[in-house]
Amino acid sequence: MKMTPKAVIIGSVLMLATIVFVVVYIPWANRIQTPSEIHRTRSEIEAEGRKIYIANGCVYCHSQSIRTIDWGKGAERIAQAGDYVADQPILLGSQRTGPDLSQQGGEHPDDWHKAHFINPRYTSPNSIMPRFEYLGEEGIATLTAYVQSLGMKDADKRVARQAYWKEKVIAAYEAGPEANVKWLNEQVPQGWRDLPNPYPTTPAALARGRKIYQDFCLGCHSAVGDGMGPAQPYIYPPPFNFTILHGREISGGIIYYHLMNGITGSAMPYFKKDLESEKIWEVGDYIAVYFINDSDANTEPRGIDAAYEPVEEE
Amino acid sequence: MMMATFMGLLGATELIAPDLSGNLSWIVFGRVRPIHVNLVLFGFVTPGLLGAAFYFLPRLLDTDLYSEGLGRVSVIVWNLILVCIVLSLAAGYSQGREYAEMIWPVDMLIVIVFTLIFFNFIMTVAQRREPLLYVSVWYACAAIVLTGLTYCLGNVIWRPDSGALVGIPDAILLWFYGHNIFGLLLTPLSLGVAYYVIPRVCRSPLYSHTLSLVGFWSLILVYTHIGTHHLLQVPVPTWLKVIATVDSVGMVIPVMVVLINLWYTAKGRLGEIHADIGGKFVFTGTILYFFVSIQGSMMALPQVQRITHFNNWVIAHSHVGVLGFAGMIALGGIYYILPRAVGKPLYSRYLADFQYWLVLIGVVGFTVVLTIAGLIQGNAWFNGETIYRVLPEIHMYYIVRASLGLIIFVAAVLGFYNIVRTIFGRPAETVVVEGSPTRELLAGSESGLAHQESGLAHQEVAS
Ligand code: HEC
Ligand code: HEC
Ligand code: HEM
Ligand code: HEM
Repeated sequence: MKMTPKAVIIGSVLMLATIVFVVVYIPWANRIQTPSEIHRTRSEIEAEGRKIYIANGCVYCHSQSIRTIDWGKGAERIAQAGDYVADQPILLGSQRTGPDLSQQGGEHPDDWHKAHFINPRYTSPNSIMPRFEYLGEEGIATLTAYVQSLGMKDADKRVARQAYWKEKVIAAYEAGPEANVKWLNEQVPQGWRDLPNPYPTTPAALARGRKIYQDFCLGCHSAVGDGMGPAQPYIYPPPFNFTILHGREISGGIIYYHLMNGITGSAMPYFKKDLESEKIWEVGDYIAVYFINDSDANTEPRGIDAAYEPVEEE
Repeated sequence: MMMATFMGLLGATELIAPDLSGNLSWIVFGRVRPIHVNLVLFGFVTPGLLGAAFYFLPRLLDTDLYSEGLGRVSVIVWNLILVCIVLSLAAGYSQGREYAEMIWPVDMLIVIVFTLIFFNFIMTVAQRREPLLYVSVWYACAAIVLTGLTYCLGNVIWRPDSGALVGIPDAILLWFYGHNIFGLLLTPLSLGVAYYVIPRVCRSPLYSHTLSLVGFWSLILVYTHIGTHHLLQVPVPTWLKVIATVDSVGMVIPVMVVLINLWYTAKGRLGEIHADIGGKFVFTGTILYFFVSIQGSMMALPQVQRITHFNNWVIAHSHVGVLGFAGMIALGGIYYILPRAVGKPLYSRYLADFQYWLVLIGVVGFTVVLTIAGLIQGNAWFNGETIYRVLPEIHMYYIVRASLGLIIFVAAVLGFYNIVRTIFGRPAETVVVEGSPTRELLAGSESGLAHQESGLAHQEVAS
């Protein structure tokens, strides 16, 4: 074959044109234009927040697309083409340095986001996400509006649920510590309330609990458990002060339940996805021993002893 | 290169010390990263390779560059573009599409500069005194035309405000384009340089003309339509995924054909390659090309991608590709042409060798460390650990990566120093005047010359 300039240029451009036709034009012509069942249009402030999201490169660390194999944040809904019909540009992302955000709306209340954007280490001590305090009060609020819309109609339902419970947790908090603890305890199903921590307190378990506490809770509840962590100024109701819980009928089960499910409406997140059962019991016991000074670990009713537990000397 | 790697280093450091950016918006990770990526692509690798093309084109065609003036204008515009890229992205003006972040005015400048370069190239080709076109000429010309076109398409330049399509087609288009930045810009330009430097350094003709042809056309045919392998896990049409996966494996053909051609040319002459610093860089680049492509074909398999997608494994692949393959060859091109272009000997061969080892250690280290980190992330996620839980597990690797980044940065500074000293150094005593090497290069490639000559004869008869 003789390679003349014409052969090179025209030949390669023709090939490119054919390929563009097949792999770009045909998919475009046959694109799915029907919105999925969760789709809705964005409000003005949400669209504005999306621009902030683009300008600050959130897309390099956060994907917006859930796969069939995912377990983490938002994994309850697998992405569909109809979710993206209004996205220009589409922000799928190619790295998950941070969690997927496609279903982020309503995962947390607004005050959590505020503390988190001001400094992610406040709410998540191990985070490597940058600080976005420079966006200013208004910028953060706009960005939060966008983040809370991720997941569209499904997000709206979650956001409404946050708002519903927010009123209740604020009312309980403002009624004073006594009433707040009582209200919080009452929200826990009776079975859990009656349940002591079934595992004994051991130095090893406490050391592990301490590590979990530092990795997850420190920014809000503080190193001494008084709720005055660096996130405190941005969060309302403020993080719980564990030291007031002494003698207030707190059981291992109550702590476990709050950790597992979080306290929707307040900034207290759920830890069901991050922590396995043993870790939740151990961080719970760490709080109980050091901050509440009142642990029910390994008290009756305990049922059958777990195989690995140390044998108590009577 | 210095700026680009510095941005990389900054980004890497921010991943270990996230409060580094303090409250300064323009150095936050989300802005530093696109600056890093665009600077390494458009500020280091591409101009390095183009510089070499501007050198070898006139020589291969036995003529002068069509217009030196136009060339200078291109260089000035190009540098203006780089400044614009840094400033606009740091200020937060971004279209948010990976590799296509630049806002419309910058896009336009880029299209203009590609047009200028293309015009210069094609006019040089038109006024050639050597009728045969050598492989490197094909690659250089095709790379410029095709990238000019895909750039317009990929950046949706007919929509200045958003620079994007809507919905899933936007992702398909973006990755068609993104993949072609590697496939139609970096790869052909790099291969063009390799096709020039390796036979020149070995003083041996190219192994096979047929393989050159197959390699060239199959590259354009196959590379261009597998961009969807970046989208295997999102809802794009299945047939498109199937094509992308199958032909990503098919990429073995263009890759191996070219490498066999180049490696057979160098067979038995590794001594010569080792003796020439430019040749050394370029040859190493071809080895890493082998690695990155085989790895790439593997990563396009859906089963593999379950683990490797979304994490540092891909970042490792990117650095082997862009730094190890294209970057190494760009450096080799620079070191090969520089003494010849300025007519002065290289300031320090020792420094250049030192830089070679630093870059090689850096890129291999990156690959090992980031691949490990990627495997930790991918496997942990696959088994249900959350992303937050895995952060401390990869912290150590981020630290090692940043240290290796420091090595690469030092290498860049050394290289810059070496180049500046060469340019302003004392001229060589004798200036070697080289004639067009096209015929020499094609001499042995089984019947290549004959083929082209007979074609030529036909033309002459016709006219
Ligand atoms: C360096 C990468 C990085 C960048 C850039 C980044 N993030 Fe993050 N993001 C993370 C990491 C890591 C986490 C997980 C730890 C945490 O909660 O902070 C996270 C967590 C989050 C969460 C909480 C998810 C959850 O439910 O736990 C939200 C919301 C979020 N980021 C939004 C954003 C927005 C909006 C931007 C852009 C303004 C952004 N991020 C930029 C890395 C990043
Ligand atoms: C983002 C801030 C934040 C983080 C992080 C956080 N908490 Fe909380 N926590 C709160 C808030 C706010 C409340 C509820 C205050 C209220 O309603 O009065 C709360 C309440 C609680 C309660 C309920 C107390 C009761 O009366 O039963 C427990 C227990 C608790 N947190 C434990 C933890 C543990 C353990 C961790 C770490 C694994 C943690 N929290 C992490 C903010 C946080
Ligand atoms: C000082 C040395 C370098 C360091 C520390 C560095 C660091 C980084 C970092 C931190 C990222 C972002 C990865 C992420 O999102 O997690 C990145 C991306 C990237 N870097 Fe570098 N880099 C360096 C040099 C280079 C060089 C010399 C090149 C090319 C010649 C290069 C090409 C790229 C590319 C193409 C990406 C994008 C990867 C992707 O999107 O998958 N880097 N680099
Ligand atoms: C046969 C050749 C190749 C194949 C089949 C291939 C395949 C792939 C695949 C499947 C991905 C996506 C990974 C994922 O997101 O899960 C990818 C990403 C990437 N490849 Fe390659 N690759 C090849 C060669 C190259 C070369 C030569 C370069 C550099 C010049 C390169 C640079 C990149 C970069 C920078 C990315 C990251 C894109 C991003 O997510 O930002 N690849 N490649």
